[in-house]
Amino acid sequence: MSKLTEKLRNSPSRRNPPYRPLVRIDDEERESLRRKIGGVENYNGQSLRELVVAAPENIELRKAMVSSIMSAEFAGIDAFSRKVVEWQEWDVPESLLLAMARQTWDEVRHAQLSKGLLESYGGVVGEYPDTLAGGQGGPQARAAAAGDGNGNGQAAQQAQATAGEALMRNPIASLSMTNVSLEGAALTLFRGTSELGHKVGDRLMEHCYDYNWADEVTHVTIGDYFVKQLTAGDPQKERFALMAHARHEMMRGNLSPAQAEEIKAFFAEEMDRAEEALVSQAGPEPASGYR
Amino acid sequence: MAYVIDLKACINCGLCRRNCPTECISYFRTGHRTHVIDAAGCIDCDICAKLCPVDCISVDRAYRPDPERLEAAKERARQWARRRRQEQLAARAAAQRIVAAIPAGR
Repeated sequence: MSKLTEKLRNSPSRRNPPYRPLVRIDDEERESLRRKIGGVENYNGQSLRELVVAAPENIELRKAMVSSIMSAEFAGIDAFSRKVVEWQEWDVPESLLLAMARQTWDEVRHAQLSKGLLESYGGVVGEYPDTLAGGQGGPQARAAAAGDGNGNGQAAQQAQATAGEALMRNPIASLSMTNVSLEGAALTLFRGTSELGHKVGDRLMEHCYDYNWADEVTHVTIGDYFVKQLTAGDPQKERFALMAHARHEMMRGNLSPAQAEEIKAFFAEEMDRAEEALVSQAGPEPASGYR
Repeated sequence: MAYVIDLKACINCGLCRRNCPTECISYFRTGHRTHVIDAAGCIDCDICAKLCPVDCISVDRAYRPDPERLEAAKERARQWARRRRQEQLAARAAAQRIVAAIPAGR
């Protein structure tokens, strides 16, 4: 491992104003969110889009919506810039590293667009908390993802965060989960937000998120191109990519019954394969049993 | 008629799969990283082709659907549309209740 990679891996993500994940905000801020947007549970892109439609005259709701998107863009800058360094340890094409660098810059531009839009509403960065854990790669993110230590299932959350982090360090899994699955879903988010801007007569919002949408198409294309390249001629790796994608879609939720059924069937098939592999590795049964 | 996906051009974004009213587009079940439309479930609604960001979905005019399966697919689409409409109305009603209760918004 290079010194830079090692240093990066152990460094928490920093930002000014500092990361303030939603899961760690205090009671006072929860009360503030209740007054501004009706409660902490509404602080997500999907709910806020509905709220903006319901009350287009309430600029505070637009500020909250844009802040929630911007927070994801900050996390994107963090995550993709770390890949540029960390993946130099892997046997990946140089062009993939350049693609990650380009994507980092795209996320910077998206954050700038959201910041400009937020400021046009009279808001400022840091006024609302972060929707994500605050930096994808550092120890701070791990701690935040595991909660504040008072909730139930902390060990399970920590295990899931650690498993997700381990997967993110594998380019095939990371590209499948982030570039293809997550950015694929972001196409719907940005198209919807751009349409919302059109609906409420907010030309700037419409234009900003249409711009983001176009970039997301490129990001999915980058992900799909390199997953194809890294798995070419290797069915095992292709299955691994599919598994990472399926895991991510399942965790993200919001699936229709048929979509959930397809993923369930996929994992059931994987279990059958694993069992077959185990049986074949066990070899023939001993003729006279064990003594 | 039915729609087909050009597998070489497809970027697997999943937009078509998530928006197909008859849910006849598979990905995980294909065994490969490819999105495939089950022609028997396609009702030619054109939603997937309109949504595709890389324009890789086109019409196969040679395909002749089985009338019974086509009718079953159309019924699935009607149910999908009703379900989606109900979800939208419920979300809208919930949003109205929330904004009415926001002190800062009044």
